[in-house]
Amino acid sequence: MGKEECKTMLDALNKVTACYRHLVIALGSTSDSQNLREELKRTRKKAQELAVANRTKLTSLLKDKTISKEDRAEYERLWVLFSSSMELLEVDMKRSLEIGQDFPLKVPTRHLIQTGMTGSTTTVAARAMSVQNMKYEADSNIDTADLRDLQSEITQVSHMMEEMEMKVQVAPWAVEAKQEAGAELKSNMSVGNSSVGVISICEEEPKEEDGGGNRDAGFASICAVLVFFVIVIVALVLGYLVINMS
Amino acid sequence: MQDSKSGIKGSDQKLNVTTIPYVITGKDVIAWIANKMKTTVEGLAAQVFGNMLVAYGYIYPLQNHKKLVMCNDNTLYRFQTPYFWPTQKWVAEDSDYAIYLAKRNIRKKGMLEPYEQAHYNHLHKWLNHKWDFIVMQATEQYKAGKERKKPDRVVFDCQERAYWMINRPPRRTHSAMDCGPDRLIDPSVEEKITFDQYRRMNIFYQQAIMRSKVKSSVSLGALVKYVTTYKNHDAFLAPCLPSNPWQTDSDAYWNLNMRRVDVPTKMRVERWSFSLFELLTDLRGRDDFKIFLKKEFSGENLAFWEAAEELKWGTASSMKTKAETIFKTFLAPGAPRWINIDGRTMGLTVKGLEHPHRYVLEAAQTHVFLLMKKDTFFRYLKSPVYKDIQKKALNPEPHNFSPAQLEQNAQSRGPGIHPIILWQQEEEEKAKAAAASAPVDVKAMMSKIDRKK
Repeated sequence: MGKEECKTMLDALNKVTACYRHLVIALGSTSDSQNLREELKRTRKKAQELAVANRTKLTSLLKDKTISKEDRAEYERLWVLFSSSMELLEVDMKRSLEIGQDFPLKVPTRHLIQTGMTGSTTTVAARAMSVQNMKYEADSNIDTADLRDLQSEITQVSHMMEEMEMKVQVAPWAVEAKQEAGAELKSNMSVGNSSVGVISICEEEPKEEDGGGNRDAGFASICAVLVFFVIVIVALVLGYLVINMS
Repeated sequence: MQDSKSGIKGSDQKLNVTTIPYVITGKDVIAWIANKMKTTVEGLAAQVFGNMLVAYGYIYPLQNHKKLVMCNDNTLYRFQTPYFWPTQKWVAEDSDYAIYLAKRNIRKKGMLEPYEQAHYNHLHKWLNHKWDFIVMQATEQYKAGKERKKPDRVVFDCQERAYWMINRPPRRTHSAMDCGPDRLIDPSVEEKITFDQYRRMNIFYQQAIMRSKVKSSVSLGALVKYVTTYKNHDAFLAPCLPSNPWQTDSDAYWNLNMRRVDVPTKMRVERWSFSLFELLTDLRGRDDFKIFLKKEFSGENLAFWEAAEELKWGTASSMKTKAETIFKTFLAPGAPRWINIDGRTMGLTVKGLEHPHRYVLEAAQTHVFLLMKKDTFFRYLKSPVYKDIQKKALNPEPHNFSPAQLEQNAQSRGPGIHPIILWQQEEEEKAKAAAASAPVDVKAMMSKIDRKK
């Protein structure tokens, strides 16, 4: 059905947008920069393909006048999701252009900010591209060539968004959200497991993490104490019997 | 502002509990700045510059993240990534903030700080149409973040938190990005002055030259005298007792200084002794003065002054009737509350009252005011009424709120008394006062006494 396809495509676009934002935040800092530029380029291209696909699908669905009211409301909601994703993507692309221009890679002494991030962003990009491993094959002047491409792509995206606004008459503020406040907590059941045991620099955090750790440690210690007492009682009883018998 | 310090600045690689590589200490930063700026006084300029760096968000503190200052000791800081710099003047959007709060909600398992929770609820209400998108993005960004290594994840969290501390500061955090409403006019733009404006400016300045001026020694002396009298009563210069409501969100000060409070504060009573004008403009002081005058049986001056004020500020339709009552009560020969003003003023006023306008009683009112100032006011200040109220006046203790109490005060702010209720109270009091102090009709009293006889 059209709706399911739309939803899966929107999910994919959402994922790529999120990964793109992670990558742009790492730009200009000491994380892996040559590969980072290539990752940015690839993620961007993928985002654009998804965007075009989504747009054609949604415009065709919304132009259809023969759909029911609930369907139309649902498509409008998907439309708002799509346009918000595109806005975020456009903003991130513009920002990456500016930062990319400010921090060139091909100069004799690179001036990159020591932010403390040293790891690579390979895994994030792999998640965006839905591949297992990323292969890097770009040539060395990727930063300047890429920036020109980036400028043209930004104009493309802005045109696309303007066209979208013109063609489809959807009032974004009339859409009602399906999720209520705090919905993000329910969708992540496995959140707690990975963060227990983290001790970070920031002072507020250790209080929280230690609290979690202490609670678990408390249970374990209570069990250990109980077992110990049971063993002591058994030993006493046996000793008493031995003394009685002898 | 390109960061060129990473090569030049020799900062040490501190290894904290999880090995996060690049942190700098506050005193290293300040020493480097002082060195670069070649200032001999290391303290002030470098410290201020360091504070600015933190307040704008180029460097963020790791330990006390709500206090955006650069401490000149071993507190740890780190550089912020260029995406989060304020240089490019990118607007920090509300939808981005909503995504950040949702991510933080996931991370903290629902335990957001109170100001964050307030923002979250507010954004949920106003960005409701985008809320699905916000939730989806937040979960996706969280999952994508988990793909990175542990130290990077921690650094990223710190970075984002610092960015939003700058752009959405909680109460009492002073970030440099806090700005008030934008002006409509840009003050630094040169505006073109037309010929007509120049002509009018010339006429104004020529007239100003021809006016008679006060000598600066005299006017400056008056200014100095004013400042010395009032400097303890200015809330900007001296601490306001019990506490300034704008700073501590506790309205004790306003409640103690209301219009119809029984016991005024000491500062208020002291202010009444400065001049008759202060005494009369503060309505509570005027009440006190009235009590004193009643004892002395010389209330007609003040009553006339009040009646003239009412005429000045009242409605145009009621002016004729008011003027007539005033004439009958105060100015006519043999009137029940006849005021004692000199013949010339009396003649002018009576003539003016034939065609009354708003300022017809101005001359008489000034004369009466001067009479009160020169004579009655000083007697009032020496009277037992005033000394009594001085003794009774309250001197409230200054408040000393802890940050938690301040937070609570801020949350329990409510609207004060509704102005309509205050107005109704005023009307009731006025009616009571009018009934109680009806002009003593001497003739009626005399006739009563006669009849009794």
